[in-house]
Amino acid sequence: MDIDQKLQAGAEIVKEWVISTSNPEVNRVDLVVAPENLKKAVAAMLDSQWGYLSAITGLDHPEYLTDETGVKKVDPDRGNLELLYHFSGGAAVLTLRVTLPYSEAVIDSICDIDMAAQLYEREAAELFGIEFRGAPSTDHLVLPDDWPVGVYPLRKAFTGLKKES
Amino acid sequence: MTTPMVGVIEKVKTWARVNSPWVIHFNSGSCNGCDIEILATLTPRYDVERFGIKLQGSPRHADVLICTGPVTLQARDRLVRVYEQMPEPKFVVAVGSCGISSGVFQGCYNVVGNIGDVIPVNVYVPGCPPRPEAIIYGVVQLLKSLQN
Amino acid sequence: MGAEKKPEKFVVSIGPQHPALKEPGHFEFAVEGEIVTSATARLGFVHRGMEKGTESRTWVQNLYLMERVCGICSAVHAMAYAQGVEKLAKVEVPPRARAIRQLIAELERIHSHLLWLGVAAHEGGFDTLFMLSWRDRETVMDLLEAITGNRVNYSANVLGGVKIDIDEVKSAAILKGMDFLEERTRHYMKVVTEDETFLGRTRKIGTMTLEQALRLGSVGPTGRASGVPYDVRVDAPYAAYQDFPVNIVTDTAGDLEARFVVRIKELYESYRVIRELVDHMPAGELTTRIPRRIQEGEVVSRVEAPRGELFYFLKSNGTDMPERIKVRTPSLCNWGSILATAVGHRLADMPMILAGIDPCFSCNDRMILVKRGNDQTVWTWEDLRRYGIEYYK
Repeated sequence: MDIDQKLQAGAEIVKEWVISTSNPEVNRVDLVVAPENLKKAVAAMLDSQWGYLSAITGLDHPEYLTDETGVKKVDPDRGNLELLYHFSGGAAVLTLRVTLPYSEAVIDSICDIDMAAQLYEREAAELFGIEFRGAPSTDHLVLPDDWPVGVYPLRKAFTGLKKES
Repeated sequence: MTTPMVGVIEKVKTWARVNSPWVIHFNSGSCNGCDIEILATLTPRYDVERFGIKLQGSPRHADVLICTGPVTLQARDRLVRVYEQMPEPKFVVAVGSCGISSGVFQGCYNVVGNIGDVIPVNVYVPGCPPRPEAIIYGVVQLLKSLQN
Repeated sequence: MGAEKKPEKFVVSIGPQHPALKEPGHFEFAVEGEIVTSATARLGFVHRGMEKGTESRTWVQNLYLMERVCGICSAVHAMAYAQGVEKLAKVEVPPRARAIRQLIAELERIHSHLLWLGVAAHEGGFDTLFMLSWRDRETVMDLLEAITGNRVNYSANVLGGVKIDIDEVKSAAILKGMDFLEERTRHYMKVVTEDETFLGRTRKIGTMTLEQALRLGSVGPTGRASGVPYDVRVDAPYAAYQDFPVNIVTDTAGDLEARFVVRIKELYESYRVIRELVDHMPAGELTTRIPRRIQEGEVVSRVEAPRGELFYFLKSNGTDMPERIKVRTPSLCNWGSILATAVGHRLADMPMILAGIDPCFSCNDRMILVKRGNDQTVWTWEDLRRYGIEYYK
């Protein structure tokens, strides 16, 4: 099966939940799905044995404020987070994308259907502040034990911890 | 005890220490590059054990602490604890550029700084990573300074 | 109390400092008698915040930062990153540069597998094998140093190509080195498949079936030892793997012995492909120009690191600094699988099982906490290793 067919076959599996499709590279297809359908789409992908979950990438799309001097600054309270679930099957990579606003950064955990996702989810939870509903563990995985609550380092608004005075 | 007697005992202690220092290794956030080179010093090509240098598992038995990497927030307390558990007199060798200046990791949010910021360091070995010969040379420099 | 008293769980916690090994990480094992009933990990002792760090460095500076994600598999990190940036910039790398990248990556695989063989043998109390494999590893370290100028963190890759070249003298040295290592590797294969005492520690231990491995997302040699047929070098050839293909090595046993066998067979593959590369090195340029500002876009770059699939996601916003770089190292996938397979095994087998995935913590320290009721005792990894060795005496 060549890459195009493989990608089409993949898109076919999840088509009932897809909102929009794009092809960023020859061996990739990006499919946008609504957060409430994500788990169903992941389950369908895994059941079909199309490929395996390679990684979960988090992205931050903040909104910008322009102050009186014309300097653009990141608004820490408004913006969207995006999660990318990358599935690899041979050379093809299929990505399910979901967008979550800061105000409601909650999504169903997929740990019960794919155990491998646990570490990826915990990483995204810590670094981006996304709540995974039903995740088996929410302990710190990579950040230190005394890391301040509510500080998410990979959000654009984060520029470093304040020096302890 | 009389003073000359104490002097003799001290001499014997230094002699023993210089001829067979026990070493503990701690990675406080390094990329492993330095760590595999430290391990390489124990293996047949370099074989520091023939000089009496022994890698030790417990800080309570160690004379020299070999540290690698920048210090991360999570590792800082552990590094201090390992250092405090070591019996006096104790010496620290910081291996690699990261231990000197945080190296390429400078400015990363989880990096507190270099090893010298957290515990006193006696010898710095530069390099990314230093060759095994350089690490051995660093330890030898430390031992020489003890003799005087 | 009328109710029957529950058997008390005993939690063994390992980490985060280990004398002879590479990195820090912390494990907790709950045990009933000898048998492990649950296992959890705590990483982050070497979490430095690199992904965030990339966002305030230029594309070129990041090459040197990414190379230091892990000092053992540095070249593949640099390669995955460089390939991603080149895809973003729509730049084609000359064939000779691609062949040299593959050559360095395969030499690195040899160094990494020999390193692992030694470390795994050490965990099993087989220090002779440890010393011998590390002695032979120096051969490949010398070659890497001769070619690139450094033993570790070679910096062979630049954006748009490589900065080192191979000449006849180096080619001859590589071929000679491969002949020596191949002969030594045959000996190691014999040792890990025939030595009775060693087999006692590896055969039918830590077994992971194909179904489990697929469900848990194992990658690399750990997965391939259970028959998971994934190898990025074969599935999605990059560098020069299209012209100098490697054969996928799998096994069906899924136990520790199979993990040894798969890695050793991979060494043979590496020797073979390196000889081919040296004999048929394409001529031409080493680098191509690459703009300082990278056009907007998102790419995925996958390569096969010695430990499994390495996954990079790069996003550019059109400036000279990246918008986001995501790195998913193979060890992270394998952690999940190993914590699940640890359950039901003897505590004494834990060092070998953990070493069996070739954990790369910068890509974890290990100390053990032993918990009896409210009583906690910390073991060092060394204590656990000795416990394992004593148990099997």
